[in-house]
Amino acid sequence: MIKQGTLNRLKHDITHRGPSAWALFILLLAFYFLLYFPDKFEEGARVFGASKSTIASMKSLGNDLNIFEHFMRWLGPALGFELKKWWDPVFNKWTLYGTIYTLAITIGGALVIRRYKHNPYQIVRTSVVMLVQIIFGFSLPILLGANGYKDYYFSYFWPLKIEYLYPENLANMPIFLVLYGIIGAMLVVPILGAFFGKRWYCSWVCGCGGLANTFGEPWRQLSNKSSAAWRMEKFTIHSMIIIAFLTTGLVIANYLVGDHSPALQKSALIIKFLYGVFGVALLSGAVGVAFYPIKGTRVWCRYFCPMAGILGLVQKFGRYRITVKKDMCISCGMCSKYCEMGIDVRAYAQKNQSFTRASCVGCGICAEVCPRGVLKLENKVDPDPQELSMNAFLSESYKQEPHRRAV
Amino acid sequence: MNQEHFIIIGNGVAGIEAAMTIRSRLSVEDAKITVISKESDFFFSRTALMYAYMNTMQREDLEPYERHVYTQQHITLLRDTVTDIDAHNHTITLETSAPLTYTKLLIATGAHPRHVPFEGIEQATDGVVNFVSMQDLDHCERLTPSTSHAVVVGGGLIGIELVECLMYHGVKVTFLVRESSYWPQALSHEEGSRIADLIRSHHVNLLLEEELQQIHTDQQGRVSAITTNKNQKIDTQMLGICVGVTSNTSWLKSATTPPDIQRALCVDKFFQTSLPDVFGAGDCVQIDLGMEQPLIETIWYSAKRHGQIAALNMLGDQVAYAPPTFFNSSKFFDVEYTTAGQVVNTPAHTKSLWRTHPSQPYLTQRIVFDPTQKDQVIGFNMLGSRWNHRILTQWIEQRRPLSYVRKRLHQAQFDVEFGRAKLKAMQEEILNHD
Repeated sequence: MIKQGTLNRLKHDITHRGPSAWALFILLLAFYFLLYFPDKFEEGARVFGASKSTIASMKSLGNDLNIFEHFMRWLGPALGFELKKWWDPVFNKWTLYGTIYTLAITIGGALVIRRYKHNPYQIVRTSVVMLVQIIFGFSLPILLGANGYKDYYFSYFWPLKIEYLYPENLANMPIFLVLYGIIGAMLVVPILGAFFGKRWYCSWVCGCGGLANTFGEPWRQLSNKSSAAWRMEKFTIHSMIIIAFLTTGLVIANYLVGDHSPALQKSALIIKFLYGVFGVALLSGAVGVAFYPIKGTRVWCRYFCPMAGILGLVQKFGRYRITVKKDMCISCGMCSKYCEMGIDVRAYAQKNQSFTRASCVGCGICAEVCPRGVLKLENKVDPDPQELSMNAFLSESYKQEPHRRAV
Repeated sequence: MNQEHFIIIGNGVAGIEAAMTIRSRLSVEDAKITVISKESDFFFSRTALMYAYMNTMQREDLEPYERHVYTQQHITLLRDTVTDIDAHNHTITLETSAPLTYTKLLIATGAHPRHVPFEGIEQATDGVVNFVSMQDLDHCERLTPSTSHAVVVGGGLIGIELVECLMYHGVKVTFLVRESSYWPQALSHEEGSRIADLIRSHHVNLLLEEELQQIHTDQQGRVSAITTNKNQKIDTQMLGICVGVTSNTSWLKSATTPPDIQRALCVDKFFQTSLPDVFGAGDCVQIDLGMEQPLIETIWYSAKRHGQIAALNMLGDQVAYAPPTFFNSSKFFDVEYTTAGQVVNTPAHTKSLWRTHPSQPYLTQRIVFDPTQKDQVIGFNMLGSRWNHRILTQWIEQRRPLSYVRKRLHQAQFDVEFGRAKLKAMQEEILNHD
């Protein structure tokens, strides 16, 4: 039952797919379209070999729509920062986006910490994700840009940032960044995943997850819990892993032997462009965030993110799991309701089954909302903290009495 | 074709568990399973009613199984009321559909709120609520907008849940508890007093040792005020009565073949009623385990167990019911509670190790032990942090002495990562129970 009062009704409406939620959805969609797509018109026309006049008209269309870039080019001088000085590269739309994004994580994170102030796991996790965003997701890239370097996000790895293993990018990077990117993606990410589950990345470090778990918190319950959604998730996420590998492989192959094969060159350009449009701009940006008010917070992470997909596979064979306290579940369903990945946690809990699901990002909210403390996130191999001893078998016949009743 | 027909009356946790257990053993060709309910179309979690009331969940979220599960499992759900049982002919009569013939019948009709003939309750046609069924939730939700002050009677779990819900909706609540501390059936006086402080800290007007005496109504028959036994008159628009439940068995008394009924439907340790091929399980039964008193269990966990074991017996296995060491858990506002074994009304020679925290009043542990039996631990009552009851009950079953348990208490902690309650900070004292 919704609480009385206009404000409460509005709060319910925007968090339960009411008209205001749809309005926010459209607003966010428009925002992401204007942010990402103006850059794509000209590139698209070039990649698909359009005529010069088409390329030119696409370029001007993109330029007209690029309002955030224009805004930032206007904002610099308006604030008294004459452009063409060392800070010039800072005044672009990505700084604007980074600022909004970081503010959303910081303010949202502060509210999350206030909400779960009794839960140390939530406080630590949220603080870490906020700090990572402020330092590695915002300040450092801006500092790098201001000092004339190409920006680099130390908190992102291939394949989430697919271009970090594109050879033409690696060729222009200092050697330590090349090593950081390769060792990070190939060794550190999966090894930590095996020990701590994908949560160490997806809900502690990643900016996408960071936004979902802070700003997106009010919409986490909208994730689809049906088994049909699970089937779809398995199909899409595995497809995305394959697509990410194929794209990277094709780009590398093109770099190595592309000069000899115009067909390879052309297809590498096209797939790179398509991945940029559909994988990055559309799915991780527009769908990933704009869908918050409609489909919950982790649409990108759950159905599409290739990095989450790979980490999920690692997690299935790693140490991480959710331990279920036997026989204590009352099937209330709070865990399932508030699982942002749409895992029907209750289905496991009511069957007394500890489990590891590939999609689980270890946000820990199922354990938080459980009124009977049934669930616990653990990085352990052994299923029981204490072995059942011979004594227990021997005293099986021993029963307590009288039996108490509870209302 | 020799298809058996298992009919289950009641789609609560006992009934549905039984249906699922039967289906896991018998295929569609072998058995038809019908579950009949008059309360709801689908099994829902009664324990989550409060979350629907507080808008943290929507109604459809209360269903533990996706609806297509019943189709998949070939379990027929029927919304109807059973009016008669004829055990001679193996038939039941329904209010709206045609009579059905069963091979085995399970009665799992649950319980309803205990009726107490408070003065004036007959005149109150509106405003008196309970909080155990979907219909109760409807009723509460209809009344809430026109309620500024509510009175809740009964110091148990459902009472405090209803209080919490009403507080959420901005209703001022007076909570009447007959005893001198909250929930003495499970908490010691000291523990109950601490929870009473907690309740008051949430701005609930908690009145201990005070009972409902009389209900006053307005001209439309809606509750307008109550008087307590201390002659205090409290204006109220809603009166929640949460003083326990009694079995839903009265409808059986007029059946063509009535089964034995005392306080509840009598079953033996195989969940068999006095009628052939008729079984009973859940909150509606009293189980004869050969002890002085038949066993009546009315919590979620027991109903689930009953359903599973009754089903095995309906399938022809002879599985006797042996209730495990008692355990339960709960949450009072934001304070979690885990209990195992015997913790109240223990013999006078038993003692408690009482562990309290110097600055967190709602973080306590009480370990009950028996000094005459080598300090054997017999119960745990844990407030304010999470515990693995499995380990606690195991220690009880292993008859571990207090010294053993005290040294290993951390092994049973179940708190979130980084959030383990600091056991070293606890102060200890030994309490006598006499």
